[in-house]
Amino acid sequence: MEGEMMTGNLAAAWGARLAGVDYVPAFPITPQTEIVEALAKWCENGAMAARFVTMDSEHSMMTAAGAAAATGARVFTATSSQGLLYAIEVLYSISGWRVPLVLVNVSRALAAPITLEPDHNDVLASRDCGFLQIHAETCQEVLDSILMAYRIAEDERVMLPVIVNLDGFYLSFTREPVIIPDPEQVKLFLPPFRPAHLGFKASAPHALGVAVLGGTPYSYFRHQMHLAAMNALDVHREAAAAFEQLFGRPYDVVEGYRLEDAEDVLVMTNAFASKGKGAVDVARAEGKRVGLLRLRMIRPWPADAICHALQGRRAVAVLDQNLSPGQGGILFQEIAACLYHEALRPRALCSFIGGLGGKNISEGELRAIFEQTAEAGIRGKGIGPVLLYTEAEHREMVQLQVLAAGSRAES
Amino acid sequence: MQAVRFHGRGGQGAKTASRILGTAAFLEGYQAQDSPIYGAERRGAPVAAFTRIAKEPIRERGLIARPDLVVIADASLIDDPAARVLDGIDERTAVFVNSSLTAEQLGAQTSHAGRLTTLDLTDIALQQFGKRGAISALLGAVAGRLVGLRRESIHEAIARELADFGLAAPVIERNQTVALQCYDAVRTVSVVAGAPQPIAPAQLQVPTYEPPTRGTARISAAANSVLRETGGWRTFRPVLVPDKCNGCWLCFAYCPDGVISMNKDDRPVIDYDHCKGCQICVHECPTEALVAEREKEGAVAWKAK
Repeated sequence: MEGEMMTGNLAAAWGARLAGVDYVPAFPITPQTEIVEALAKWCENGAMAARFVTMDSEHSMMTAAGAAAATGARVFTATSSQGLLYAIEVLYSISGWRVPLVLVNVSRALAAPITLEPDHNDVLASRDCGFLQIHAETCQEVLDSILMAYRIAEDERVMLPVIVNLDGFYLSFTREPVIIPDPEQVKLFLPPFRPAHLGFKASAPHALGVAVLGGTPYSYFRHQMHLAAMNALDVHREAAAAFEQLFGRPYDVVEGYRLEDAEDVLVMTNAFASKGKGAVDVARAEGKRVGLLRLRMIRPWPADAICHALQGRRAVAVLDQNLSPGQGGILFQEIAACLYHEALRPRALCSFIGGLGGKNISEGELRAIFEQTAEAGIRGKGIGPVLLYTEAEHREMVQLQVLAAGSRAES
Repeated sequence: MQAVRFHGRGGQGAKTASRILGTAAFLEGYQAQDSPIYGAERRGAPVAAFTRIAKEPIRERGLIARPDLVVIADASLIDDPAARVLDGIDERTAVFVNSSLTAEQLGAQTSHAGRLTTLDLTDIALQQFGKRGAISALLGAVAGRLVGLRRESIHEAIARELADFGLAAPVIERNQTVALQCYDAVRTVSVVAGAPQPIAPAQLQVPTYEPPTRGTARISAAANSVLRETGGWRTFRPVLVPDKCNGCWLCFAYCPDGVISMNKDDRPVIDYDHCKGCQICVHECPTEALVAEREKEGAVAWKAK
C-alpha cells in the first residue's frame, strides 16, 4: 500500500502544510484539536514557515484569519461545532471581504443537549454565509480537498473562502492510508497567492466591508458573491482536472456510486457515505438495482449534476445527518427544489434523518431505507421525514428516562 | 474483511493496540482502518477501538457490530453491561481475554457463543516491566497473531506506534520483545472473516411526542450518579494495612472521587462500589499503609514507591 496510516485530522493538517500557508490563527475544540496541535508542532520545529497564533476564542480566531487574508497572506484555520457558531458572525463578514482563506470544520453536533459526536447541523448552519463548502468522505479526500479549496478560493472568478468539512470521530480520529502529495507538485497545482484586490499595508490604507445604505450597493455586492460562488462550479471542474493530472485522483462536485441502471438512489454526504456504499453492494448482490449519490460540494449547490444523476429514477431517498426542527432534513429540501422542474423527476422522494449526534447508522437501518424507498417508488408517493431509530434504541432510551427521573419503581 | 473490536479501560492501551494492528496490516499491503471510541475519556472508563483489515476497499466506518475477533484487555469488562463487550458475538467469533484463567475456566464463567483464548498479559507486563501500565504492544501482538499477520510487521508496527509517544528506544525494544513473546505464546483460534449473511432490515420505532418532563434532556433525580457503580473500572484496588496507618487523612484529601471516608479512629474506609482504582491514595500514603491489589486474581501485586 502507498501512503501512511493517518487520521482525518492529521490529513487536514497536512493539507495546510502542503498548501504553504503563511498564517494559522488557532483555538482548540474537540474533535478538531489534533489539527491545531500538529500545526503548532510543525510551526515550532520549522517544518512549516507559517506564523501560528493561539487566540482567545473562535470569534477572534476568524477575525484574525480574515484580517490576515486581507493583507494577502494565505491563511488556514480550523474549528468545530459550537466554535463555528461562535465565529459565524465573522464568517459573513469575511466572505463579504472576498478573502479566500480555508477553514476546516470537524463536524460535531450542537448543544443542547451537549455532545462531542458528529452531525451536520454545525456546518449547515453556515450554509448561507458565503463560504463555499466541500464535504469529505475519506481522510485522503480531506487532504486533497484542502489543496483544491485554495486553488478554487484564490481564483479571480471566485475569491471566496471555503469550508472543508470532515466528520468528527468517524474521520477525525479514524486512521486509513493517506498518500501525501509531493510538495513540488503541489506548488505546480497551487501557484503563489497574489490577489489584486487585497494587500492591506500601512503605506496603502483602504477600507473593506464598508457601510452601505439604501440597499442598492448592498444588493449589488451580495449578488456579486452569489455569482462568484456559482463560478466555483466551473473552477472546481478545472481544478479537479489539473489535480487528477498531477496526482491521479479524480474528484467531482458529486460522486455517483453504482448508479448506471439504478432504479432507486440514496443521497448521502460525508463519512457515512462509505457505509451507504457498503449497503449498496449488499443490496446489489441480492439483485436490487440501487445506487448512491454522494454530495461533495454543498455550496455552490451543484443542481445540474444532481438533476443529471437523479432524473428518471423510480425513487430517491435523502439521508440527512441533520435536523431543522419544524421542517426536517436540510438537504432534502434542496434536492426537492432542484428536481421540481425536471420532466423525468423521480416518482417518489423520501426523507430520512439519521446519525444525529453521531448515532450509528447500522446495516439494518440502511436496508430499511432501501425497502421503504422501493415501496414509496412503487406507490408513487414519498415519505418522511423518518427518524432512523430502532426498537432496541427506543428501549434503551426509556431506561435512561426512568433513571433521569429517579423513578426506578416505574420500570 | 476482518473486523477486530478491542475493549479496554482508559489507559490500558486498547486504542494503541488497534493502531498497532492497523499499521501491521497496512505494512503487509492490506487496506486498513482503525478508530477509537472514548466515551467518558477518563482513565479506567470503558474504551473501545476498531480495526478493519481487507484486500478490497473498506466500506464501513465506526462501530463494529458483528466482529470477527474481540480483544478484551480487562476481564472485569465482561461483567459491565455498559461496556457491551459481548455485543454481536456468535459461534464464529474469536474472543481473546487478558485473564489469568484458562479459556476453559473463563468459558465456564461467561455466557457467550464465541471461541475463547486467554493469556495473562497483565501478569506478563508486571513480570517483564515491573509495573502495571499500558499493555498496548502486547494486545496488538496477540491480535496480530490471531488474524494471521507476520511477526516482522507486528515488530515494526509497535516501533512506529510507540515512537509517537516519544518513548526511549530501549523501552520500545523491550515492548517489542515482550509483545512477540505473547505473539508466540497465545493459543490461536481461527478468525473467520466476514459475517455469514446480511443482517435483516432494522425494525424502526420513531419516537412520538412526550411531555417536556420526559422529552427534555433533564435529570430530576437527585444524586443519581451513585447508581452508576464505577468500582468495575479498577484493575487494582487500594487495600489498607491497618497497622501501618498513622491516621493522617492524606488519602481522604487526595481521593479525586470522594470515595474515602474516615472512621472515628481516623482510619480510611474505601467505598469499593465507586473507587475507580486510580491509586492516587496508594501513591500519596506516607507510611505505605495503602497497597494496590490486582482485582479478581487476588495477591498483592505491586507497591508504590
